[in-house]
Amino acid sequence: MSSTTSSTTVATSRRPNLINSLFPSVISGIILGVAGAAVAGVLVNRITTAFSPDSVPNDDAVAAAVYTAWVLLFFIGIGAFNGIFKWAFARREPTPDEELQLAGKGQGLWRYFRFTTDHKVVGMQYLATVFVLFFFGAMGAFMIRLEQSRPGAIFFNPSTYNTIVGMHGILMIATTIIMVSGPFGNFILPIMIGARDMAFPRLNALSYWLLFAAIPIFFSTLFLGGFQTGWTGYAPLAVQGLTPGMDAYCFTILVFAISTTLAAMNILTTVIVMRTRGMTWGRLPVFVWGIVLSVILSLTAFPSFMVSQIMVLMDRVFNTSFFLAASGGSNWLYEHLFWFMGHPEVYVMSIPAMAVAAEVTAVFARKPVFGYRLLVSGLVGISVLSVIVWGHHLYLSGSENALVAPYMLDTELISIPTGIFFLVLIGTLWRGRIWVTVPMLFVAGMLVNFVIGGITGIYLADLPTDEILHGGMFVVAHFHFVLPGSMVLGFFAGLYYWFPKMVGKRLDPLLGQLHFWLFEIGFLGTFTALLYAGLQGEPRWSANIAPPFATPNLIASLFAILIAASVFTFIYNVIYTLVRGERAVANEWGAKTLEWTVPTPVPLENFEQLPVVTSLPYDYGSPLPGPATAVADIASAVIEAPIQPQVEE
Amino acid sequence: MSEANIGGNAGSASPAEPRHLRRVLIIWAVLSVIVIAIWLAVAQFILPQAASSLDSSDNFTFLVLTVLAVPVALFVFVFLGYSLVVFRVQGRPTEDGVPLQPRPSLQVGWLGITSLLCLFLLIWGLIAFYQETSAASTSNTLTVQVTAQQWQWTFNYPQYGASSAGAQVIEVPVNRPVEFYVSSKDVLHGFSIRAFGVRVDANPGYVTTTAVITPTQIGSYVVQCVEICGLFHSDMWEAVNVVSADAFNSWIISQGGHV
Repeated sequence: MSSTTSSTTVATSRRPNLINSLFPSVISGIILGVAGAAVAGVLVNRITTAFSPDSVPNDDAVAAAVYTAWVLLFFIGIGAFNGIFKWAFARREPTPDEELQLAGKGQGLWRYFRFTTDHKVVGMQYLATVFVLFFFGAMGAFMIRLEQSRPGAIFFNPSTYNTIVGMHGILMIATTIIMVSGPFGNFILPIMIGARDMAFPRLNALSYWLLFAAIPIFFSTLFLGGFQTGWTGYAPLAVQGLTPGMDAYCFTILVFAISTTLAAMNILTTVIVMRTRGMTWGRLPVFVWGIVLSVILSLTAFPSFMVSQIMVLMDRVFNTSFFLAASGGSNWLYEHLFWFMGHPEVYVMSIPAMAVAAEVTAVFARKPVFGYRLLVSGLVGISVLSVIVWGHHLYLSGSENALVAPYMLDTELISIPTGIFFLVLIGTLWRGRIWVTVPMLFVAGMLVNFVIGGITGIYLADLPTDEILHGGMFVVAHFHFVLPGSMVLGFFAGLYYWFPKMVGKRLDPLLGQLHFWLFEIGFLGTFTALLYAGLQGEPRWSANIAPPFATPNLIASLFAILIAASVFTFIYNVIYTLVRGERAVANEWGAKTLEWTVPTPVPLENFEQLPVVTSLPYDYGSPLPGPATAVADIASAVIEAPIQPQVEE
Repeated sequence: MSEANIGGNAGSASPAEPRHLRRVLIIWAVLSVIVIAIWLAVAQFILPQAASSLDSSDNFTFLVLTVLAVPVALFVFVFLGYSLVVFRVQGRPTEDGVPLQPRPSLQVGWLGITSLLCLFLLIWGLIAFYQETSAASTSNTLTVQVTAQQWQWTFNYPQYGASSAGAQVIEVPVNRPVEFYVSSKDVLHGFSIRAFGVRVDANPGYVTTTAVITPTQIGSYVVQCVEICGLFHSDMWEAVNVVSADAFNSWIISQGGHV
């Protein structure tokens, strides 16, 4: 995990004292952030009380002030602005030594707790965060299954239940958005394109720490009465007074959207300008294409979500009326803003996971991707069409009927490029020499679940069946087949595949197989039962299971126990691997992409000399010379002339 | 992979390949027929009882789409399963697979078939949609104003001056066309009676008209909220009974209306 090659050289520079190495760090960030939040909270409380006619503080304004102060001061405390201050006031550029210091050189594990710019550190930070958020999201899911296992709302009170459902939803959505582009997009992608770091390393650290800053804001909702709107935060309901827990939701989205937008910009710029010699667009690994298309989509999607939350906050804090019909607003405005984010966002999650699956399949079938250009065109097609499908969420909203036909057309069109993905994966497996490793198992599970998820989506895309299923458990089961069932399995395929490179140890394959089978069996059981319940008419978001839906819900809850077991198997596997796992070799799977040509652990600047690329990294079974599976010779298969004079040094 | 490889299938296909392909296609065809037959046999037990003609036609669409979906899903499942079983090697592979690339005819054929399936779905959906929206209301049509509020449903019957307020159950007559005018007093709600095939959002400040539907089965059904609407969303459902015309008239009078 620590970069041993770089830490030996730094020892010669002056030894930093304890204060210097501890601050600035996440500790000073939290101290300053909490202090600032407290001051801002008290101040705004006093001010709004003084100006209010009946001497009542404006809770929403207090919450807004507290969260704003927390984010700003946290960033000052963690040293995010130090470089800018130096540049502006001391009027000097940072020295190369300072840059290396900022990249975490020679700081051991502590670099993971600082504003560190090294893309590998940011990738690991994202990975750890994804684990933690998935864990809490999964706990929410099991609480929902507990409540729905019996008819009648008996385990939680209504407010708690709605908050759990909303928290589970938005936690999982947010985590699924970052699960591939965060850890792998930051750690693996720059190495894959032959770069030493991201295009904007400071921005990279900023986007991670913004995500970090959003987490306490999000969980503060638990102490502020929760929120009743579910993950969609639909607006007249979100604007109703109730509790300041709703402000926590809005602010979380705001900070998260900024974080994701910055990260997207950074990744896109990196791929445009930082590719090594010979890495043309036609030679980009499929994974890089997936991430690029996904971040382009998030650039179009998230601003709209941000705007919607700013409007909700204005309605709440300043009593504007964007969404109140009684004062000229409209709930349709929120629905359109929300789903303009909400549907592209599904593909923000899907495209990278699909790309991971293609990447992994080629390696383990020992075959080139079947139709690389076809697949890339398919992914491009998905991302273009996905920007204009959002209207199918409003089929039954009571808007103009004329909108139904174009949205139905577009929604059904998108299954054509998605179909290409299946052709490519099946073709890649066909007549391969398939090495059934844990990543390969997860890809197989992903394909099974994705077919079911895709096909159940057809019923929802077609109006005559949508009008008996919309807003029901069928929809819930459908998007669970697509998101956790397919895309999270894609993430796990990537995780088992890249973990040896990222952490330097290989996850235990037996535990990995157990993890897979427990999850897949539990998952199919749970959500097939819920598909059935939804077909019978069970509504969404409901704690109170009506008697006709009781049996399928109980079955779903029982199968969910297997999913819970798989979660703990996975946690055990990670901990066990970190403590006692076997050391991984540089090219664990005999793959041909560039990240497998660098040593493990990856040195601070990735490459001693930047590679030159001459072909796609999938020339398995080609008549080209060189045994492709021999670990030592992999580099020669991809890079014909690795030693080139460096321009930038 | 060389550029020349893209576009043409590797000509050196081993003689084993056509056998594999034929075998998989036969397995796929046989399984598809079996699963479709099973689905047609059990569909009546899986699909819920419809209480209106619209709902039965929705159920029929579900049945047809499933018949269509089965071969598509099985295509992926069979190829995936066959590949994983037959082409699997024990341990780390020592040699590579055949570097196949799709022929243009395969690509065009795949795109063509998926496009046709999409076109079918679109046309089917649009025809059904315009059929249901074109059902005009007649003089006999019962008008029901549905008002959603946190967290209950109120049905008003302006033709009778009656309201469901205070009633244990809501009633509508059998075999008479009904048109719902749906609105909300506070936040967004989702108006849904599954057995009628009626589902539309209840928007604050707007009135949405549903398709004209005719309840055909006497029985007890449920109107429920399918959009989260706050604290007691889970309890926002009420019984809707389809009753004979006489029973409906006496219920209207008991609710303060005139016949």
